Amino acid sequence: MLKIENLCKNYGRFRAVNDLNLDIPKGEIFGFVGPNGAGKTTTMRIICGLLNATSGKVYVDGIDVSNRPKELKKKIGYMPDFFGVYDDLKVMEYLEFYASIYNIKGAERKKVCEDLLELVDLKDKRDFYVDSLSRGMKQRLCLARSLVHNPDLLVLDEPASGMDPRARIEMKEILRTLKSMGKTIIVSSHILPELAELCTAIGIIEKGRIVMSGTVEEITRKVYHSQTVRIKVINKLEEAIRILQEYPDIDGVNPVSESEVEASFNGDEVFMNKLLVRLIQEDIPVTAFNQLEGNLEDIFMKVTATGEVKQ
Amino acid sequence: MSVNTYKRFFRINPVLLKELKVKMRSWKAAILIGVYNLVLLLLTIFIMKLTLDNDIGVPTQETILTTYAFLVAAQFGLITLIAPALTAGAISGEREKQTLDILLSTTLNHGSIITGKLFSSLSQIILLLISSVPVFSIIFLYGGVGLTQLLQVYLFFIVIAITLGSIGIFFSTFIKKSTAANVLTYAVVVFFYLGTILISVFYIRLVIMPNNALGYSKTFWLFNLNPAIALISLVVDQFREGAGSIILGLNLNAQQGELHLWQINVIFNICLSAFLLFISSVKLNPVKRKLFRRSNLILKRKGS
Repeated sequence: MLKIENLCKNYGRFRAVNDLNLDIPKGEIFGFVGPNGAGKTTTMRIICGLLNATSGKVYVDGIDVSNRPKELKKKIGYMPDFFGVYDDLKVMEYLEFYASIYNIKGAERKKVCEDLLELVDLKDKRDFYVDSLSRGMKQRLCLARSLVHNPDLLVLDEPASGMDPRARIEMKEILRTLKSMGKTIIVSSHILPELAELCTAIGIIEKGRIVMSGTVEEITRKVYHSQTVRIKVINKLEEAIRILQEYPDIDGVNPVSESEVEASFNGDEVFMNKLLVRLIQEDIPVTAFNQLEGNLEDIFMKVTATGEVKQ
Repeated sequence: MSVNTYKRFFRINPVLLKELKVKMRSWKAAILIGVYNLVLLLLTIFIMKLTLDNDIGVPTQETILTTYAFLVAAQFGLITLIAPALTAGAISGEREKQTLDILLSTTLNHGSIITGKLFSSLSQIILLLISSVPVFSIIFLYGGVGLTQLLQVYLFFIVIAITLGSIGIFFSTFIKKSTAANVLTYAVVVFFYLGTILISVFYIRLVIMPNNALGYSKTFWLFNLNPAIALISLVVDQFREGAGSIILGLNLNAQQGELHLWQINVIFNICLSAFLLFISSVKLNPVKRKLFRRSNLILKRKGS
């Protein structure tokens, strides 16, 4: 759906985006993670045809961004990190205005706007002035606005910034719904754990370069070179620790409480299954057996601190 | 032209439609119209009283023409003040409100954004002009001024409003802050209204006159760019009275080629507006800006 090849963007002597490469398949939610000034917004603005690249190519569904901007804009819905509203427009009028830009007319326009308001849960606010909405509502409205022409690709720059936890959860739910509708979504955020829950793939960007990309599991494996499983048992913790220490390919065993132990290993799901079977065969009363997701914040700090470059 | 081109041409500009809706339902529009007509009406009463007092209470042709000229001048002055203010913040205001990026990310043509903003502001001025017709009609009570003359003046006002609006839009597109765009717009307006006169007079006195023993009876070209002088030229042309050479290098009764000064001014204003709007539209397009930069770089390299 989106292909970026050797993208570079210079502001004078400063290189904001440096030889960036990405390939995002259709239907993916791709999380763009990076510190302030890493080049996330610049990349997103180039994708949306709002900024020229110094060099490199961006293709959206095969369309070269620099050559066919009008066709590109039909395929993209953009939500900037800071967005303004028109003071004197009502919620429905706001959506209708953007629908009219895409030449959506009459009854169809009304239906599209009504459906979008329902999607973002703002139907009861349709006659309110946009200016009177809360920040979270405005952001949801802006998301609805970016969907007005039914784009294939959504580019959302920090869509949950400044939202309270409830509004963030609501936003996440909407994005999941959009994914189920087949939309490809690129979302940048500083709230890293949320990206881990939401995104099918993540790209960590620093100093204009993608330093690491892949699913959260892949990145965890790349960074930590092993996986961790947390096991909860009744009474027989010491015996469980002994079995784990003797088990081949287990790198480390670390008790975390009176009934829980974490084991680091180098293996896949089959390995985990065999380990669980073994514990049960040894009469260890296992009550929980969970693979720990890599802490994205830790990964982010580790990756951006070392400046490791892997695609 | 294809069917789609026709459809696009006749489609109402969404920005214009939105702006009209927003502007016309606010109290600001009603207050603007009210204050505008009140000022115009007070001026009319004041001028009529002055001119009638000088006579014996009966309006003469001279009284009517004086009142008409003052009314036209007052209307012209108000348009000069209002048009830049309505447009100089049009694009920079969108930028400040952070709505410009969203507009640019849509399929909306950059030219449509520019013209939508311009004509929504102009629609307010046109509304002001139309609403002032009853005030102007006082002149008709006494006769002496025809509908054609009034229409001519109103069309001239519209051209001036488009020009001033285009200057406003131009600076609004190039300058990020609305305040700075306003200041620069008014600076250019002052240049056209006063600067052209000062430069012309100094140039004629210091450069042309010392080398010309016979004097200077023609109209200096720079006066053609001055909208105020063009308006005087129009009123003089309408009534074929007075004027002649009012300042050095300006002969209002003389034609330049086949055209009067006001006609040249109208042509200049239309060309200037088209040029400024085109440049603004190009500037607003982030993709085309690069082409301009590249061509500049090539020119610089060739130059060095």
